[in-house]
Amino acid sequence: MNFDVLFKKAKEAGIEDVQVTYSAGTELDLEVFKGQIEKYQIADSAGLSVKGIYNGKMGTVRTEVINEEAFDFVVDNIIQSANAIDSKDEVFIYEGDAEYPKVEGLFDQTLNDVPVAKKIEDTKKLEALVMEKDKRMKMAQSYYGQGTTTVVMENSKGLKLEKKVNSAAFYVQAIASDGEDQRSTFEFAFSNDYNDFDLDKLASAAVEKSTSLLGAKPCDSGEYEILLTNTASCALLHPYVGMFSAEAVQRGVSLLKDRVGEIIGSELITIVDDPFKAKSPRSGSFDSEGVATQYKEMVKDGKLTGYLHNLKTAKKANTKSTGNASGSGVGPSNFYITPGKMKYDDAVASMKKGLIITALAGTHSGANPISGAFSLQASGFLVEDGKVVRPVALITVAGNYLDMLKDVEGVCDDLDFNFGYVGSPSLKIKKLVVAGK
Amino acid sequence: MLDKVLIKKVLEAALTTSADFAEVFIEDKFQTDISLLSSEVQSVNNSKVFGVGVRVAKGYQRVYGYTNSPEEKDLVKLATDLAQSFPGESASITFELEEMKKGGTHKIKILPSEVMVDEKVSIIKRADKAAREYSEEISQVAARYQDYVQNVWIANTEGTYVNDTRVRTRLAVNSVASNETDKQSGHNGPGGHWGFEFYDMINVEEEAREASRIAVTMLHADECPSGKIPVIIDNGFGGVIFHEAVGHSLEATSVAKGASVFSGRKGELIANPLISAVDDGTIPNAWGSATYDDEGNLQKKRQLIKDGVLTSYMIDKLNAKRMDDECTNSGRRQSYKFAPTSRMTNTYIENGDSTFDEIIAATKYGLYAKKMGGGSVNPATGDFNFSVGEGYIVRDGKIAEPVRGATLVGTGREALLGVDMVANNLLSAQGMCGSASGSIPTDVGQPTIRIKEMTVGGRKGAN
Repeated sequence: MNFDVLFKKAKEAGIEDVQVTYSAGTELDLEVFKGQIEKYQIADSAGLSVKGIYNGKMGTVRTEVINEEAFDFVVDNIIQSANAIDSKDEVFIYEGDAEYPKVEGLFDQTLNDVPVAKKIEDTKKLEALVMEKDKRMKMAQSYYGQGTTTVVMENSKGLKLEKKVNSAAFYVQAIASDGEDQRSTFEFAFSNDYNDFDLDKLASAAVEKSTSLLGAKPCDSGEYEILLTNTASCALLHPYVGMFSAEAVQRGVSLLKDRVGEIIGSELITIVDDPFKAKSPRSGSFDSEGVATQYKEMVKDGKLTGYLHNLKTAKKANTKSTGNASGSGVGPSNFYITPGKMKYDDAVASMKKGLIITALAGTHSGANPISGAFSLQASGFLVEDGKVVRPVALITVAGNYLDMLKDVEGVCDDLDFNFGYVGSPSLKIKKLVVAGK
Repeated sequence: MLDKVLIKKVLEAALTTSADFAEVFIEDKFQTDISLLSSEVQSVNNSKVFGVGVRVAKGYQRVYGYTNSPEEKDLVKLATDLAQSFPGESASITFELEEMKKGGTHKIKILPSEVMVDEKVSIIKRADKAAREYSEEISQVAARYQDYVQNVWIANTEGTYVNDTRVRTRLAVNSVASNETDKQSGHNGPGGHWGFEFYDMINVEEEAREASRIAVTMLHADECPSGKIPVIIDNGFGGVIFHEAVGHSLEATSVAKGASVFSGRKGELIANPLISAVDDGTIPNAWGSATYDDEGNLQKKRQLIKDGVLTSYMIDKLNAKRMDDECTNSGRRQSYKFAPTSRMTNTYIENGDSTFDEIIAATKYGLYAKKMGGGSVNPATGDFNFSVGEGYIVRDGKIAEPVRGATLVGTGREALLGVDMVANNLLSAQGMCGSASGSIPTDVGQPTIRIKEMTVGGRKGAN
């Protein structure tokens, strides 16, 4: 689509600069329950978001009717929107960087080429595998989702950028029951290479995680050495990712305000924002403002090195954007704690009186991103003298996220991701307070 | 929007295999969203939504797809692709689309799409000003203004062809009251199936002050004690408990799969005989009303419970086949991006014979939950927990001190059976309900009711 007509119309109407983000994509969603396809949905959709600077304010508009006739609507609405804004923050339309990094592995045509019939068959197979593996499995429901998106960004300063990504995921929700106790789990795998999906492994993990917790009971209250598994650590890091945003820092709601250069965690801890990670739809060479992305160590050997910036926050802090504009705010790309050398089994063996925490619930309300405090319902396994003794549930673990980062004694080599962009290896922690019996 | 001949072509393409039903849903919507924080307008977003959803079914098995393209080749391709899910000989279904019927039951005076942004902005600023002026303890006000005009065209292979226009308007105010040690918030969000004339019908300042009143009252409230005590749930948004803990379990979505505690219990006594409840999509200009449902059937009034007896579920077209029961025209969806399924519209408990004053006077000790907050329900068991946004202790038949941090815990069945007084002051309030077919506007409502005993969780410990 040629947007020059729109840029010309905008200029004539008095809009200084204008930027369009056109995104188009296809989707496939499948859901299987009791061997039947419960859901089969296909989509082919597109949208155009436009922003423009009028009298120093940023007006925004969005349309799914995408043709030249919609341009008058776009121009008119940018002006109406800008006229109504009171916020005095400086706004930007970016002319672009001299160079953009090359990011590999964002799009894999072979994923889209695998026949839908094969994907349906595999989704059914995933459910069947879970049910076959253990007679205590009471129910399973499996899902497959796939999306392809093309984003085109152009502005009146001559910027022209494009990115194409695809991704897919298999999920399975499983419930195990021994007649008395019932435990559920939700397992998933993401990739844009269909060959990466190992259904048997996914099914085994779902069965293992749900059955091993059967009969779980609270442990005694007290302090325990903790092994936070990679997925549980992702869940706990997730509510705290926002504190690395310069927007949160400038609003005074970040725990990391005025702490650049300080030690905020154990020297074993390095946290990165990695827009170049292969096979991730969050990766790319430019952000939502058109700024080139970069790989950054946000925490290096325990020391905080900086914040995530967009153009607006960078200007306020007298620094440069880190290429982390996301929508109209600031956001991470792929954000993770880098893996260490410790083996998971050695971490278990190292605990005298410990708990392996495999799942945490209620992180949206029980983890306070402003104070760092958390108190969360947890489940996992009790460890005595380096041996797993029994499953544990209905306990709460409490602490403060930054204190916990300082108490990290070991970082395992098993980096894994959750929520599509938050990653962590399993972490061995000196102690946390546990409330149980 | 799309021409009738084209719609028919798309439907025919969907029936080229063994499918026995197809439907086209066309949506054209214009919406405005304005947000305000710290007395400054932060964003104004107008958007135009357009898309077409195609559903193809055989029996109660269905597949769904959507596109933003209005082009014949794209729509026919989508229908043909979907049809491949039902391989086999064509069922040779022939049909003619009826003359297009237009919905117009809920009259609108001023279409929001024809109102300039600055007029809408002035509403949100009036609300902010009134909310702040209520008390010096109000430290922050966040407000949101939303409206939309949604035009839909629905056609199917049974000949249905309708066009309906839904116009919805809402103002939501969230006030925060604080002192040196504490922060408490209050919320109020009136809305309706109205145009911009809505703001001549309500008192914007009064609605905004209500959010601040709750925040300030709660700032000065003590922590709620916990225990099993009588609970009086006020009219209006108090109906959210019925909506969540009973309403969802009466939707075909859960009943048809046998996943509901009320599956197979039609004709049985499931509530105290004082309780009668209704889901009514025809109430003039109510938030959850429309002329037609999202499957092109006329909205109607459904008597869910009569004198404690379960009389009807809420059922959409395909689940009616699955359950071998009658469709109650309950198919709804957020947009063309969702296949429709059975959903609530305006759901409420009907008036009883008591008065509000009688209920308070008859309560020696209990909790009066004047405003309910959010909560969650486990659909398999009906277990719920809801927070109380504004609560008071009732002592010796009088409303006493305000309390905060209360949580109501129970199950839908227990709560229904435990009601022992129902007042005559039915009132509804507006909410957004999220479920399988997206987020849709629904009214919740009830008169003031008393539940003779309920578990109240509070931070103060047992009394």
